[in-house]
Amino acid sequence: MQDLLYFSQQLINGLTIGSAYALIAIGYTMVYGIIGMINFAHGEIYMIGAYTALIAITGLTALGLAWLPLILVVALLCAMLVSSSMGWAVERVAYRPVRGRHRLIPLISAIGMSIFLQNYVHLAQGSRNVGFPALIEGGFNFGSDGNFQMSLSYMQITIFVTTLICMTALSLFISRSRTGRACRAVSQDLGMASLLGIDTNRIISATFIIGAALAAVAGLLLGMYYGSIDPLFGFIAGLKAFTAAVLGGIGSIPGAMLGGLILGVAESMTSGYLSGEYKDVVSFGLLILILLFKPTGLLGKPEVEKI
Amino acid sequence: MTTSLKKLVTAVSASVALMGAGHAAADIQIGIAGPMTGPVAQYGDMQFSGARMAIEQINANGGVMGEKLVAVEYDDVCDPKQAVTVANRLVNDGVRYVIGHLCSSSTQPASDIYEDEGILMVTPASTSPEITERGYELIFRTIGLDSMQGPVAGNYIASQSPKRVAVIHDKQQYGEGIATAVRDTLKDKGIEIAMFEGVTAGDKDFSSLVTKLKQADVDYVYFGGYHPELGLILRQARQANLDAKFMGPEGVGNKDINTIAGEAAEGLLVTLPPSFDEKAENQSLVQAFEAKGEDPSGPFVLTSYAAVQLVADGIEAAESTDPFDVAAALRSGSFETPIGTVQYDKAGDMKSFEFVVYEWHSDGSKTPVN
Repeated sequence: MQDLLYFSQQLINGLTIGSAYALIAIGYTMVYGIIGMINFAHGEIYMIGAYTALIAITGLTALGLAWLPLILVVALLCAMLVSSSMGWAVERVAYRPVRGRHRLIPLISAIGMSIFLQNYVHLAQGSRNVGFPALIEGGFNFGSDGNFQMSLSYMQITIFVTTLICMTALSLFISRSRTGRACRAVSQDLGMASLLGIDTNRIISATFIIGAALAAVAGLLLGMYYGSIDPLFGFIAGLKAFTAAVLGGIGSIPGAMLGGLILGVAESMTSGYLSGEYKDVVSFGLLILILLFKPTGLLGKPEVEKI
Repeated sequence: MTTSLKKLVTAVSASVALMGAGHAAADIQIGIAGPMTGPVAQYGDMQFSGARMAIEQINANGGVMGEKLVAVEYDDVCDPKQAVTVANRLVNDGVRYVIGHLCSSSTQPASDIYEDEGILMVTPASTSPEITERGYELIFRTIGLDSMQGPVAGNYIASQSPKRVAVIHDKQQYGEGIATAVRDTLKDKGIEIAMFEGVTAGDKDFSSLVTKLKQADVDYVYFGGYHPELGLILRQARQANLDAKFMGPEGVGNKDINTIAGEAAEGLLVTLPPSFDEKAENQSLVQAFEAKGEDPSGPFVLTSYAAVQLVADGIEAAESTDPFDVAAALRSGSFETPIGTVQYDKAGDMKSFEFVVYEWHSDGSKTPVN
């Protein structure tokens, strides 16, 4: 009985982290789906989202605002706004001028952007770990056996619910809206879409903006869940989310969700049953295995070479 | 064009060489190498503040053998790779005395270079025993060793007769070293070690670890490492209602743990060097720090002050600025410093150094236990 409870607790832990990974992974997968490049600065966009949210929360609390939902909504909107403008600007400055060149060029530009943003936040915000106030505390305790008690915190529930809302909204947007349809068209064939009168530059900007906004949501959620942020924490989160995107099939949105959840659960089970030391070994080992045996990922479609 | 460029280059390099020479003749350069930026920069602040104060006060009292001390500061970010770069820069800059580095994992590779290049190094903070185990002649410290600190922590935990203890570390030289010392002490006392495992430094999600600690039903958790990780572990353990007492080494004992862990830092046990700033004979020094708006209570402030003072006293005792003579003088003499009377053994360790167990509070203050 205790073993089962332990397993379920680790499953909850893993799904929590996994759903946040999925939110970040969307940014990688959408950009790849449309212009076929890997936006390595995406982890930094997520980190900037977390910093913006923290600044907004601190500012609002200092102004004497005490109603928690309002603080959270305003912080979330600020973070989404700043991250989206950042995502948009990064695309304009670093990717659009080199679009259509050799694949390596945008990739190097992306890595450069990532280093730049990291160091910019280092300078602007200092390099120390800053604590994130615990705004949502407490949770449900249930299923106790012996000395072990399962717990599901309100924060974890908030992460699940927010991720679910974002994912549903995104799916509806992609499948129903005009811009969403244009996104799908551009991802199928950029040249043809532009011949048919779709403003591809606008669609590409929109993709970056959506990806960055979702990363900002993840930044706020994970900042609160973990309890501290620093200028380097976007890098490893970005790599994990990238792994999630590749695992699920890069370019596929449901794939990113599935990949995020699998990765999160794999990590927590490794820490739970093996040792925390092997957590990163397992997640990046998984990436290598997928690249070796199923390069298209779990839900990705094999790419047909367009002639 | 080419010749004028050549002339210019020669002129510039000659004047640079002259400036360098003039500099070296008049002053004694003291390199201070530690983290100015990065996740443990607050310890660097302590180190720089203590060393600067010592240099200032020694100069105000007429310097060393009539010469002024000049601080040359380097940032190693507490990164072993960066520390090697810093050490090489120090060599190029002609510095012959170094106060640093701070993190054991930085001090270790940098000290190889200092020993080879004839530079005297005094670390005010690195506690890993391996640093002085290699028979080096020029490597000293003004702090105790993990092999002293670990048993203090282990004995304290054992004296509380716990049921089961978990020992966690951050897989770095300092953290794992001290965690191993604590585990061995506990084992000798016959205490059951429920788990001994590492976490990745820089990681943020410890929910799985906390769940594991809950299931292992431990009543004491020892963490070998620094505050960014322990702060998060404390906070996430509190969220998950883990009821255990946490303990850590001096690497977790600074006020930044409170900004991360908040209320969860209350009751954390920390082994630290004794509060040198509370000693009666150091009160005028404490006032000097306070007059500058600096806080002398951090664990490495006065050890850094003492490190500079020892270099100065060593030079005077040796009546020579040759690092090898100074090292010999340090080994043979006995020196009065703010951290007490310092005598060195052959390895470069202090003959006696005491660690004390403190209880940390959520407002960043600490009270001695036992």
